[in-house]
Amino acid sequence: MALIPLSYNLRSLIVRWPSTILTVLGIAATVAVLVGVMALQQGFTALFRAQGRDDVAVFLRQGATNEGDSAFTRERAMILMKTVPEIAEDEAGRRLVSAECYLAVRRNKTGGGGETNVPVRGVMPMSFVIFGRDITFSQGRNFTPGTDEVIIGAKLAERIEGARLGEVLQFNTTPFRVVGIFEHDGPFSSEIWGDHDRISEALERPVYNRVIAKLNDETDWPELVRRMDQDPQVPSKLLTEREYLTSQTSAFSFVLSALGVFLAVIMGIAAVFTATNTMLTAIAARTIEIGILLSMGFRPHAVFLGFMLEALLLGIMGGIVGALIVLPLNGIQTGAMNFQTFTEVAFAFRVTPQILFGAIVFAALLGILGGAIPAWRAARMRPTEAMRRG
Amino acid sequence: MPPFRLVWKNLLRHRTRALLTAASLAVAIFLLCVLRSLLVVLESGIKASASNRLIVQSSVSLFVYLPESYEAKLERIEGVERVVRWNWFGGYYQEPKNFFAQFATDVEDLFEVYPEIELVEGSQEDFFGDRRACVIGSEMARKFNMRVGDTMPVIGGLFPRTDGQPWDFRIAGIYHSVKPNVDNNTLFFHADFLQKALESGAANGPEGVGIFVLRLEPGADRVRVAETVDALFAGGPQRTQTTTEAEFQAQFVSMVGNVPFFVGSIGGGVLIAILLATLNTMLMAAREQTRDIGVLKALGFRDGTVFGLMLGQSMLLTGVGGMGGLLIALSSERFFAQLLGTAFPGYHIAAETVVEAVIATLLIGVLAGIVPALRARKLSVLTALRSVG
Repeated sequence: MALIPLSYNLRSLIVRWPSTILTVLGIAATVAVLVGVMALQQGFTALFRAQGRDDVAVFLRQGATNEGDSAFTRERAMILMKTVPEIAEDEAGRRLVSAECYLAVRRNKTGGGGETNVPVRGVMPMSFVIFGRDITFSQGRNFTPGTDEVIIGAKLAERIEGARLGEVLQFNTTPFRVVGIFEHDGPFSSEIWGDHDRISEALERPVYNRVIAKLNDETDWPELVRRMDQDPQVPSKLLTEREYLTSQTSAFSFVLSALGVFLAVIMGIAAVFTATNTMLTAIAARTIEIGILLSMGFRPHAVFLGFMLEALLLGIMGGIVGALIVLPLNGIQTGAMNFQTFTEVAFAFRVTPQILFGAIVFAALLGILGGAIPAWRAARMRPTEAMRRG
Repeated sequence: MPPFRLVWKNLLRHRTRALLTAASLAVAIFLLCVLRSLLVVLESGIKASASNRLIVQSSVSLFVYLPESYEAKLERIEGVERVVRWNWFGGYYQEPKNFFAQFATDVEDLFEVYPEIELVEGSQEDFFGDRRACVIGSEMARKFNMRVGDTMPVIGGLFPRTDGQPWDFRIAGIYHSVKPNVDNNTLFFHADFLQKALESGAANGPEGVGIFVLRLEPGADRVRVAETVDALFAGGPQRTQTTTEAEFQAQFVSMVGNVPFFVGSIGGGVLIAILLATLNTMLMAAREQTRDIGVLKALGFRDGTVFGLMLGQSMLLTGVGGMGGLLIALSSERFFAQLLGTAFPGYHIAAETVVEAVIATLLIGVLAGIVPALRARKLSVLTALRSVG
């Protein structure tokens, strides 16, 4: 089967450049908006999901969906920490378990951006052993247990007032000195950490919000989950840290995905219409050429394929341009609300190869849908009439 | 004066193209209306706030409770007429995804201090007289298909009952709020009921009061009252942050962070895409009409008329599309209001949204029409007639 050479389509796109550019840019804008939304969703999800660890167990109060809701009294937390036999020990024989308190506090954003909610976590020294090398210090040092010192996640330090090294943060009536800035690839980098007892006293919250632990390798997780749920003394909800963090993202992630789909459909329709217009005009202006092609012996389906290819090219070019427009977003820091705990987390847009590939496929699809009717019209032309009409 | 008949006939020359352009513009304007309306919802609470109410909350955190003892102290402050306790209950119906707000409050004061909350079914006496009773919003009643007299089982997320059972509230009434600062998806019940349950050990949970709402006496100085309150508790045990209701609502918008910016960027992208599409159509139309313009000019029509002919086509095309978009937005208002009811209570296409949509449409019409119109005006008769179209 003889196909129409690709150079014919390429040249006609170039000859009609104003129309080509406008169509490509129109598709590009559609693609850019979608890539932007998806990059936001990816960045937010990756921050939580990718950093969650499978070997760290999180104990919450039954029925609690997040740390803010969860609470254990001191006695209950101690029982939990001492009695669960699956909790691992280090070489020195210390149990790898820590109880933490958690509260979202008001802070003023830098640059007069109003108030935001920042998580404060009161931890025991063992928390640092459990998370090990995940937490590193970029400035200063760790807080000294039992003192009014705090350390700040690197992404938070610049976002709120009074959080730089050496500055003082006040919680209710107690001032805390910032002695270190720490790095973490996950959500901890948007938190303030301090000594559990000092923080819970300053905030007048004598409770533990969660217990975290490392479990023995041979632990039967499903069995332990069931047992903790029915524990007569301290019933609790057990999850891996990865499961816990994933559950924190699901609501916002769903909203963003739904928004993405909604925008894709609505803006996609508009883009398809534009592509159809462009191709219809292109074909109307080339009626004579089509007549010539057909009378030269090109089959109607070759003509159809030829124009579909032209539309596909428009789509793919739009996809590439759209992806290029949004690519610089990759890595840019932004903030969004974790609606579960009502706190703001900082994260970076993530334009992944999958998103880019998906965007170009989507744009190609827009081109194909837009080209179908015009190409079909072209293929059905009768050679003699077509040549006469010009 | 553009020749209107010619404007119209020129558009009809390519029916499919005119239709597709107008349709894509309609889709875009519809999308802009929806996005704008989401922002309107975010801000509506602030605008509808009453000026005679102050909110006292912890200055430390949204989640820190104030001592019960503050109530009596607040009542003694000059200028304060009434004090209403509001406690966030944080429960859910059946599963966590059936989320709605519940507040334990001083129910009799609530109706006094919030005249915008009106009972549409049931009676206040019934509600006030029964500790286990609650009232629910009209939107929620519809969503869960609940009537007066039904029992609403709420699982206490923040306040679990020690027997492991849900809290059973008897629905004594259904309210409707006429202002967006109180939504119609909330359950209100007796603060005393919650307090008794905590004291008797029937339930666990944080003690204290979430926020106090103060209604001021007519003519009282808001700023002075707020300063007096905060000064009174500056030494602890819990510092307070007293704000107007508008500022209280505004803090939530501020906490939502960059959402308005994101939505704005999306809207900008949509506008650019549709402007390019319309411009494309107009350029195509202009090229085809080059010879017609030459003929018109040769016949003695003025440059201005030719200019108007092209601009008129653009305006007519976008006008039809924009109107279509507005119609879709208005007719889908109800659908979106139901779909987004929980996250965006009170979703509606506001008058200002309509005005903005009209302005956006006119702007696109002018921008897309001006280039071909200017070109048509400058075109010399000879070049135009020689063109092959």
